This record gives sequence, C-alpha cells and structure tokens, in this order.
Amino acid sequence: MFNLAFDNFNEILDMDGHGIYVWSVYLIGISIIFLSFLIAKKRIVDIQKKINKKNASS
Amino acid sequence: MITAFIHQFSSAKSFVNITEKLYPFFLIVGVSMLILGWTWGLLFAPQDAVQGNSYRIIFLHVPSVIFAELIYFFMAVCALMHLVWRVKLAAYLIKSAAPIGAMITFMGLLSGSIWGIPTWGTWWQWDARITSTLILFIMYLGILTLHGSFSNLEKADRLMSILVVIGVVNIPIIKKSVDWWSTLHQPASISVSGGSSIDPSMLYPLLISVIGLGFTLIALGILSSRSYIFTREKNKKWILEHV
Repeated sequence: MFNLAFDNFNEILDMDGHGIYVWSVYLIGISIIFLSFLIAKKRIVDIQKKINKKNASS
Repeated sequence: MITAFIHQFSSAKSFVNITEKLYPFFLIVGVSMLILGWTWGLLFAPQDAVQGNSYRIIFLHVPSVIFAELIYFFMAVCALMHLVWRVKLAAYLIKSAAPIGAMITFMGLLSGSIWGIPTWGTWWQWDARITSTLILFIMYLGILTLHGSFSNLEKADRLMSILVVIGVVNIPIIKKSVDWWSTLHQPASISVSGGSSIDPSMLYPLLISVIGLGFTLIALGILSSRSYIFTREKNKKWILEHV
C-alpha cells in the first residue's frame, strides 16, 4: 500500500500524459484555499484596526 | 425552554470566545490530514485500471463536492434557527459560510471539468449532476448578492434566510440526480450505509482527504465568521476584548 506508484520524478510529473490535468487541479485548489485564508485574515486585521482607531479617537 | 437554551449558547460573544481556542486545532489537524491524504493519493495509491492516473483528481474533487453540499445544509439549519428563534448568530454564520460554499463549489466544478477532458473527452456536459451543482454555485452567489443589496441588515438577514431555506430543495436533487436520470456522471462510489466500491488503497487516502478538507474549511469558517461578527458587532463593548 505504501510503495511509490512511480519510478522517477519525470513519471510523477507526467503521469502518463495526465499530469497536466492532475497537477493543475491541485495547484489551483491549493491556491484558492490559501488565498481564502489570506483574505479572511486580512479582513480581521482591517476591522480590528478600524475598531482600535475608533476607540482611540473617542 | 428550548428558546432559552438556544439563546444562551448562541451569543456572538460566546461563539468568538470558544472558536478562538478551537481555531489552531482545526487548522493544524486539517492541513496535516490534507497533506497526508493528497500525498498518499497522488504518489502512493495505485493507478486506476480504467482511468489511469487522471483518477487522482478524485482526492480533491470528491471532498470539494461533499462540502459544497454540506455547507449549504449547515446554512439551511442556521436559516431555520434565524427564522424560528431569531438567533442573530445564525444569520452571521450563513453570511460567513456562503463565500466558502461558493469557493468550494467552484473548486468542485472546476476539478470535475478538468477531470472530464481526459475521461469523457469534454469539459462540460449539461447532465443532471453537473447542472444541479452549477445551480448550487449560482444559489451561493445569489445569497451573497441578495444580502449585499439591502442597507437594512436585519431585513437582509431575514430575506437571505428565506432564500437559503427555499434553495435547500436542490441538495437532495444533486445527491439523487445520478439515480433519477441517465447521466454522464458516474453513480456514487461510497455511501454512508452501504459501504464502498473503491479499493481500500484508494479509499483510505480519499477518506483522509475528506476529513482534512472538512477541518480546514471549519478553520476558514472560524476566521470568516470572526471578521463578519466584528463588523456587525463593532459598537458592542465585548468586542474590545478581542481587538
């Protein structure tokens, strides 16, 4: 069950001609998830800054 | 009594307090399991006899579409809580979960389309499963657009909840579409009650990927809901403890 399914790095990339589909799906998927975390984190920082600014001025 | 119980445990303040502590757990466990599941599936699981290596897209596609439906179901439960018991937190959670639902449905549709090119010879087919999933994606966008179009946020919460409850009818249609109609999409390979037709060497990394993506999305949901709660409750005193 834990034997590598490929013989070398080129086979991993190529995947018998399917590598372009497989790797592009994971690249896009990981990018979307990572970007979603960044956006959510930035929103929290922005709203925290806004609240702090409001409190400092009042 | 039920109303008192729900209101006691559904304040935005207690939600923020509890989820603040749970966030690192969900993030670390989720990302670790995703790395494990995807590495196992991409590099160690054997090649499929019919589809070759293109089937490895399953480890991202299946978890994505599972959570596309589950997030909507979660939103429908929240919508009922908001409409019946007027729980404000429930509306906040719907508004925070909808962009995540849209994002994960888009990922499911995109990965399915790319998988379709080597497998079916086409990236799109107007069959029941794919079309009903596209409708789910449009529903998510519609919910966000509807909420954004009102300046009265309480009214926006109420109308958004009504739309979410109406749209939940699409979920069993997506689930059963491959049984009710003749579709290009294959029937379900795993069922909660009836076992699986997938070999364990492919099934285990798939299950790990499903759990991993679930935990990661919960962590994302915590972040997203915190920022929305801060925005809506910014004039409340308790918010100051968290900024």
